[in-house]
Amino acid sequence: MTTNDTREITVTVDGRRETGVVSDRTLLVHWLRDALDKRGPKIGCDTGNCGACTVRWNGTLVKSCMVLAVQVDGDEIETAASLAEEDGTLSRLQQCFADHHALQCGYCTSGMLMTAADLLASGEEITEHSVRRALKGHVCRCTGYHNIVKAIRAAAGQEVPPPHGSEPREAEVR
Amino acid sequence: MLLPPLRYLRPETPEDAVAMLSDVDGSVVLAGGQTLMNMLKLDLAHPDALVDVHRIDALRGIEHDADGTLVVGAATTYAELARSPEVRRSHPAVAEMAAGLVDRQVRNRGTIGGNCCLNDPTSNYPPLMVALDARFRVLGRDGERRLPASEFFRGTLATAVGRGELLTTIEIPPMPQGSGVAHEHLQVGADSWAIARAVVRLDVADGVVADARAVLGAVYGSPLRLPEVERRLIGQRATPDLAEAADALQDVDVQTADDVHCSAAYRREMAEVQLRRAIRAAVERSVQ
Amino acid sequence: MTIEQTRPDTRRFTGKAMPRKEDARLLKAQGEFGDDTPVANLAYMAFVRSPYAHARIVDIDVSAAEKVDGYLGCLLPDEVAELTDPYAELQGPPGDAEVDRCLAAGGKVRFSGEPVVAVAATSREAARDAAAAVVVDYEPLPHVVDTRKAVEPDAPLVHDQVGCNVAFESTFDWGDIDFALENADHVIEVDELHFHRFSSTPLECTAITAEYDAGTDTFTFTGGFATPQLATLNLAGALRHPTNKLRVLSKDIGGSFGIKLNTHIPATAAALLARKLGRPIRWTETRTESHQMGGHGNERWFRNVKMALQSDGTVLGLSYEALDDVGAYTRYEPLGAVIWTQVANACYQLKHLRVHYRSVYTNKCPTHPNRGYSRTQHLWLVERMMDIAAHKLGFDPVEFRMKNYIQPDQYPYTTVNGCVYDSGNLPESLRKALELIDYEEARQLQRAAAGTGKRIGIGIGSTLDSGTNNFGQARLLNPHLPFGGNSEAALVRLGIDGAVYATTGAVAFGQGHETTISQVVADELGVSYDDVHVQRGSDSGLSAQMGLSGSYASQFAVTGIGAMLNATRKLAAEIKQVAAAVLGVKPEEIELADGKARVVGDAEKALPLSDVAGIVHFSPASLPREVAENVGLVGRAVYSAPFDLPDLERKYGNLTLTYATQIHACVVEIDEETGQTTLLRYAMVDDCGTPINPMVIEGQVHGATAHGISAALFEDMAYDENGQLRAGNFYDYHAATAFDLPSFRYANVVSPSPFTPIGAKGMGEGGGAPLQAISAAIQDAVGDSAAVLDSFNPPERVLRLLRGLNAEKVKVIR
Repeated sequence: MTTNDTREITVTVDGRRETGVVSDRTLLVHWLRDALDKRGPKIGCDTGNCGACTVRWNGTLVKSCMVLAVQVDGDEIETAASLAEEDGTLSRLQQCFADHHALQCGYCTSGMLMTAADLLASGEEITEHSVRRALKGHVCRCTGYHNIVKAIRAAAGQEVPPPHGSEPREAEVR
Repeated sequence: MLLPPLRYLRPETPEDAVAMLSDVDGSVVLAGGQTLMNMLKLDLAHPDALVDVHRIDALRGIEHDADGTLVVGAATTYAELARSPEVRRSHPAVAEMAAGLVDRQVRNRGTIGGNCCLNDPTSNYPPLMVALDARFRVLGRDGERRLPASEFFRGTLATAVGRGELLTTIEIPPMPQGSGVAHEHLQVGADSWAIARAVVRLDVADGVVADARAVLGAVYGSPLRLPEVERRLIGQRATPDLAEAADALQDVDVQTADDVHCSAAYRREMAEVQLRRAIRAAVERSVQ
Repeated sequence: MTIEQTRPDTRRFTGKAMPRKEDARLLKAQGEFGDDTPVANLAYMAFVRSPYAHARIVDIDVSAAEKVDGYLGCLLPDEVAELTDPYAELQGPPGDAEVDRCLAAGGKVRFSGEPVVAVAATSREAARDAAAAVVVDYEPLPHVVDTRKAVEPDAPLVHDQVGCNVAFESTFDWGDIDFALENADHVIEVDELHFHRFSSTPLECTAITAEYDAGTDTFTFTGGFATPQLATLNLAGALRHPTNKLRVLSKDIGGSFGIKLNTHIPATAAALLARKLGRPIRWTETRTESHQMGGHGNERWFRNVKMALQSDGTVLGLSYEALDDVGAYTRYEPLGAVIWTQVANACYQLKHLRVHYRSVYTNKCPTHPNRGYSRTQHLWLVERMMDIAAHKLGFDPVEFRMKNYIQPDQYPYTTVNGCVYDSGNLPESLRKALELIDYEEARQLQRAAAGTGKRIGIGIGSTLDSGTNNFGQARLLNPHLPFGGNSEAALVRLGIDGAVYATTGAVAFGQGHETTISQVVADELGVSYDDVHVQRGSDSGLSAQMGLSGSYASQFAVTGIGAMLNATRKLAAEIKQVAAAVLGVKPEEIELADGKARVVGDAEKALPLSDVAGIVHFSPASLPREVAENVGLVGRAVYSAPFDLPDLERKYGNLTLTYATQIHACVVEIDEETGQTTLLRYAMVDDCGTPINPMVIEGQVHGATAHGISAALFEDMAYDENGQLRAGNFYDYHAATAFDLPSFRYANVVSPSPFTPIGAKGMGEGGGAPLQAISAAIQDAVGDSAAVLDSFNPPERVLRLLRGLNAEKVKVIR
């Protein structure tokens, strides 16, 4: 059939240098998932709307379903797998997502976290409105977004109400 | 979610890009890719090769000429436009539109040149570019052409950029003193697809409209300038009553179709509503 | 009917907002969804799909596909017809003549997007290219997309051999509606109302990996199967393969909402290719495919609707004709024809109800049970009629509902068709909802808006989430179906380390089963929350499943948790037996607390559970023979809901065990020039009995609310006159984003169910209250001169409402 040009690329993914052979048409999201078993970027649509595949490319937030793998040759990619502390402890943002029940099935979560982290790092003012606006490029079909917004505001240090029915509980876990 | 087979080409300079676009059959420009990639996934475009221009420095950047003309590289992203203090100062409408476009991720990749070259009826920038009398510099094998917006946009998904050509730069003349630009649109949901879009520019001097542009987007294949509306605006005092000039739209033969979001009749009516709102908003801004 | 319930004083974790056990892996991008699992030698499947709504297949040419690099093989309709049996149909004649297979059956395609050929290749790209290279020659046939036209005598037939487009037809007639309509003070008639087509569109599209092991002649399927045993049954029937040589697994699932109840259909094609090619086959559905063939919710027309009322505002009953659009094939359908009767009364004291119901084929995507399956439609209709009646007859919308709601002292309440509503407090729920939106102040806002170009509307939604269904209702559809009641299973064991390991038969796709199970098991065994480990996902090969296992019909809190409690009690009894033998007391003198089995009244005499495990697993000889021989430290139990078979003649009987309620209230603002609706305030009050985890419950309510709002304002799986889906992807199908939705105002009311193990009720589906509340709010905003008769209200329709749309379709007969 038609051309299936391939080429070798070298990309630093989540801090590790990775080399691979990709076809020209391979989307970054497919290379990350299929070749590197990176499970942060997910595919939820085919039109760039859902944001589940969001990663950082050289520090810039992008949707990896609209980038070719060959385009990132020599560059740096960060996925949601890079967000936790090195010892596996959840980051403050991740912990806020857990505390405020900001995820249900978890499929959109990695993308949401990437954007939330980008927003928090941007120095932009964090308000209900600004958070909702920042999440525009994402679709979540489980949570109704309310708790995601809360979690991000909490991560920014804002007072938000605790989840329903969540009086003292830490002491009871053990 | 998969692309058809294609070749990826990465030129180093605009001239290289033009050479590739001329020499490689079925090659198209890949700028930000925020629409093109999706068209490829959905089998709506079938190029044989992509010429990736997003790393060509000569195609990026924001400058001002001595006369205040804003000179923007075609591959400049929305995010770059949105955060540029110079653009916000000299051409706030350009920066504001960039800041509100689609979403955070797309703004980081999508380019003003890509938006214009796509010329989808729902695209944001084409009507604004018409309203601001922008000029488009198009590079080809035989050198550069410079086209006014009125000649650049040629219909649904069509522009004056021919085979083997590359849009390199968009020039936007300085905003006259007292000028107000407003962009109003009705969208699906809070901020999704445009159902109707209107851009109005009023150059106001001594409280009177000296010059005007009234342009519709979303309803037609290309941004549609409305000379009759403009005639009714020019020479009038800049008050909110000017919105009545939008009545002239009723005599315009509106070419639009039913789609998934609404009927053609509704879209026509909404175009008029947005036009009225844009006139009022432009008056308000010009007076400021 | 009463049952033994757990004592609230033994609940340390149950009822609390315990943090979710699922979260850490999902937050760290370590979950495993359908397309995540790495598999050696994996091949990929892609479908060639019909571009026509209805066509005869003239010829299929795969020669160009065979030349694609990486092409492995393909599957054609004739081969499928030879190798498989059609899927079993639930309906009797004539609808049972329908033939449904994994690829277009009988030489025809019946909806745009229907798979015609499956190809397999060594890479995703190659599978795509090979599918694109297949040439299918079609002869287009006349098609039908409008249900109302499909029942006309000259309509094109979707299934020739059925002889008509009605898959199922029945009249449900309870009370005496004719008498009521003749004698009531008021009768309201509405010509036609429409509940539109939409889908919850789980963000993870379906992904299935099919593997065939020739050595054991076993198929293994991994992916999103919401009802694994039913999937096994369907696959076994289609593949002519024994069920015990079919294994269905899931790990993490990215949402289902009922849509993933029919994944056995594409799985059949993957299985055939896996066996034929000797390689594992994965099919990863695209968003576009998911919209075209992945299942939509039921679209329904309500015609000739009549409601009878008294002048004091008492509603007597109603009658209507329903035309339900099931699409091209009855896949879970026509169960919807009886499922709605679970909520026949809706929230009201109706005495008379007659519904003539037809399940109708059209050349559209088959319907799947979408969140609130078939009840949402009827609940919307009843609430809409209540609202229209209030407007037309001048009753206060709040007082009118309050008066007609089933009152707290009427529970258990038997409905017109013998369903038993277990508990609730609808008036209190409505009061709370109105408080949350600041109702009185909103009315002032409404008055103040006059003349500003904006209208304010206030709307109420009153709904039920019927949970734990009685599958006996399937017999109302077809008396020969061998279903009755409902059960779920669970396995709990004490591991060699003394930790507790639990496996449920249910299937989680975001509801937090690992969390809620840990809460109740920890309480029952007196261990810490962290010492309970719940197996992720589901496995049909384990005895933790029953035939009807799965997640559907809002039932986990009853069936899944009930089975888990029963299993845990069995394990507890064994632990006590061992501890009693070691400590030299009787088992009934042992209590389980603080991770120990200890003697009641003598906390010093105690055996840690790790010791119990150690002795049983490694030193059975230390135990008396009769204990060692009987104790395996495994509890396996079922929960079987207390149901009888319904009376088929009267179509009467209890069809669901629990009835969670949700009352919603909202304030909308409408732009008079554009018809655009903006939500200013949105409140929901839920009552699902005793909460197991209030945080999880609130999350489910949020999610159902977002689905309902988005469906009411943005989502429409409409088809054009050519039978093409107009919203085939997320460009055109606008699923609400965070920017579209308001912040939610939530509260709850607790009316414990007397019928369930913890007093909890199943919940999660929600019952579609936002569709009702938004319809009502728009009606309130546009006033009496128009009628909201469609569940979908995009700006254009609202603008037409502002100009009087549908006014003539609503008649006050007297």
